[in-house]
Amino acid sequence: MQLAWSPEDEAFRLDLIAFLDENTPEQMRTGYDFQDVGDEHELVPQWLRDWQATLFDHGWMIPGYPPERGGRNCTPVQTLIYLETMAGRRMIRSGHFPGYAIVAPSLLEFGNDEQKRLVPAAIRGDTIWCIGMSEPNAGSDLAGLSTRAELRDDHFVVNGQKVWTSYAMIAQKCFCYVRTDPTLPKHKGISLLIIDVDSPGIDIRPLRHISGTAGFAEVFFTDVIVPRENLVGGLNGGWAITQGSLAHERAGLWVEGVARFEQTIEGLVKLAREQGRAGDPIIRRKIASAYELAASLRALGYKGFASFAQGSSAPEHSYMKMAMSEAGKAAFELGMEISGPLAPVTDPELGASTNRFVHGFFMSFANTIAGGSSEIQRNIIAQRVLGLPRR
Amino acid sequence: MDFSLTPDQELLRDTGRKLLERECPPALVRAHIDDPSAYEPLWRHLSEYTALGAGPAADLCLFLEETGYAAAPGPFLATTAYTALTGDAVTTGTVALVDDPTLLFVLEAERVDRIAVVLPGPRLAVVDATDLPVHFVATVDFSRRLFTIDLPHLDAQPLDAEMYAHWRERAYACMAAEMVGTARRIFDMTLAYAKERKQFDVPIGSFQAIQHKLADMSLVLERATAAVHYAAMTIDGNDPDRTRACHVAKASAGEAARRILKDGIQIHGGIGYTWEHDLHLYLRRATADEYLFGTTGWHLDRLAELLIDT
Repeated sequence: MQLAWSPEDEAFRLDLIAFLDENTPEQMRTGYDFQDVGDEHELVPQWLRDWQATLFDHGWMIPGYPPERGGRNCTPVQTLIYLETMAGRRMIRSGHFPGYAIVAPSLLEFGNDEQKRLVPAAIRGDTIWCIGMSEPNAGSDLAGLSTRAELRDDHFVVNGQKVWTSYAMIAQKCFCYVRTDPTLPKHKGISLLIIDVDSPGIDIRPLRHISGTAGFAEVFFTDVIVPRENLVGGLNGGWAITQGSLAHERAGLWVEGVARFEQTIEGLVKLAREQGRAGDPIIRRKIASAYELAASLRALGYKGFASFAQGSSAPEHSYMKMAMSEAGKAAFELGMEISGPLAPVTDPELGASTNRFVHGFFMSFANTIAGGSSEIQRNIIAQRVLGLPRR
Repeated sequence: MDFSLTPDQELLRDTGRKLLERECPPALVRAHIDDPSAYEPLWRHLSEYTALGAGPAADLCLFLEETGYAAAPGPFLATTAYTALTGDAVTTGTVALVDDPTLLFVLEAERVDRIAVVLPGPRLAVVDATDLPVHFVATVDFSRRLFTIDLPHLDAQPLDAEMYAHWRERAYACMAAEMVGTARRIFDMTLAYAKERKQFDVPIGSFQAIQHKLADMSLVLERATAAVHYAAMTIDGNDPDRTRACHVAKASAGEAARRILKDGIQIHGGIGYTWEHDLHLYLRRATADEYLFGTTGWHLDRLAELLIDT
């Protein structure tokens, strides 16, 4: 066990810092609050698109990838250093994660040569992707999806509906899970199609968040024609791909969540001072407790990373999503408690220093639901990590 | 930051684990309830490892997780704390902190040769244990023996304040290491029980209510364990984060131990509440450890001072 990075890794960190000092966009230097952005149109402003392209062109978009995919072939430890440095500076890589984080690695693993050609643009952000997974009747039970794709000669005909589809309003392509064989057991009749969002028969209706902004969309498919060559990973081979994402980055992605949580706690200390609550013993203990949670989760993340880097499976990662999403909610709640009567005030003047907590609280509801709810996470920990029997 | 163990550390942990599994079964902890001398055969083995008190905190904490797992009776923790404070790695010892809210009593005072007495100031006097009248203090935990001592006038020497602060931080981390060990014992017993105990014709561990409890217990245990390892690394590296990290370690360990002992006995149901079942041996230790070297609340209050007042 040791705290320091190796000289090579330290050199990597200094290279990154030099690049960031030189190239960080002005908007990000002045405190772009990516936690608060709700509307996807403003989530991907032009300067942020340019930033993603700059990162790609300099090999800093996904450093573990080779240069032609926006990286520099760095080691897993260096990837962790990269993610930690970026998060520590409150920096993001991109305004839209599906393309670089899910589509690109999935195509690299399951796509044919033609489909792999879509990868660089997905990572550079030149193509914006959305992911068609959840449906009105397929939430936690994703395999129960029913959007139907019928194969007719050289094309599929797609009918059905997706929901909670992030970035659908601005996407060019949809990575869409469809049912191609309703007679097979439900996990076995699913396929993955690449669908051009401007295809005739696609209707996109933005859904407003409880925060009031349009964050995702419903996507309706009516007799949408999709060429057969847009099938990824074989007919009825879709389920295996749902598990895909940036496997080599997953081991370090928690660090962004921990860093944001720590930054929220710094904000709580500041707020407590501003609101005259810094001497309140209950508030003090709750802030300390949040810090204790953040610090122990950071340690747990690193511990998991150490087993991952040595090639073992690291159950620690299963814990991080559940813990971070619940911790974030509690931290915003504490911010509201410190704010007292100002907590629910959204008035831009009266609530200037407090309204981000109630806003964050509302936004944080999504985090314990999306991407596998906390209850599903607990099932996974119990069954896959602890080896408890399924019913 | 690298949490992976060196081959030497893995060997140390495995050696400690096997030694304690063999020499400190539940039967020994149980025998110690009525017969304080029951620790002696175990001590002949453990006393060979007290020099860890003078070595890296990372190594010592790995070993202490194992003594905690076994709820080992005897002056191992006390002696390693004494060694770290005095530099004396030869004799057995313990520490007495006078007028200190974190440690009211003296661990294992009748089983050691020397007592390091820390007086406010801080000042230090090291005395022969045999010279001092000691009085046993019964607690809920049969695996540790606590005492009060009658202090005569002591010829105490000034103790370097920074060195003493560092020793205290190390003591928090060490205590936390034992606690996560004991918490892991209770967790392991509970997980095994949930897999084997059947009700409604199925293992109770197949019920979601039980699975979710165990998932939460496992998370709090894993993060407390990681917090202890991190604290040990900051001690060994004299990292600026060490003070915070050591408070975090003891607070996390306290939180983990309390959560796990409560849910652990709940999942065991009625059998866990009986004297004949071994669960209470560990549950008692985990309950009482909270009050040694600062409670969770005390450590959170120190953290609040560091976060808010500085």
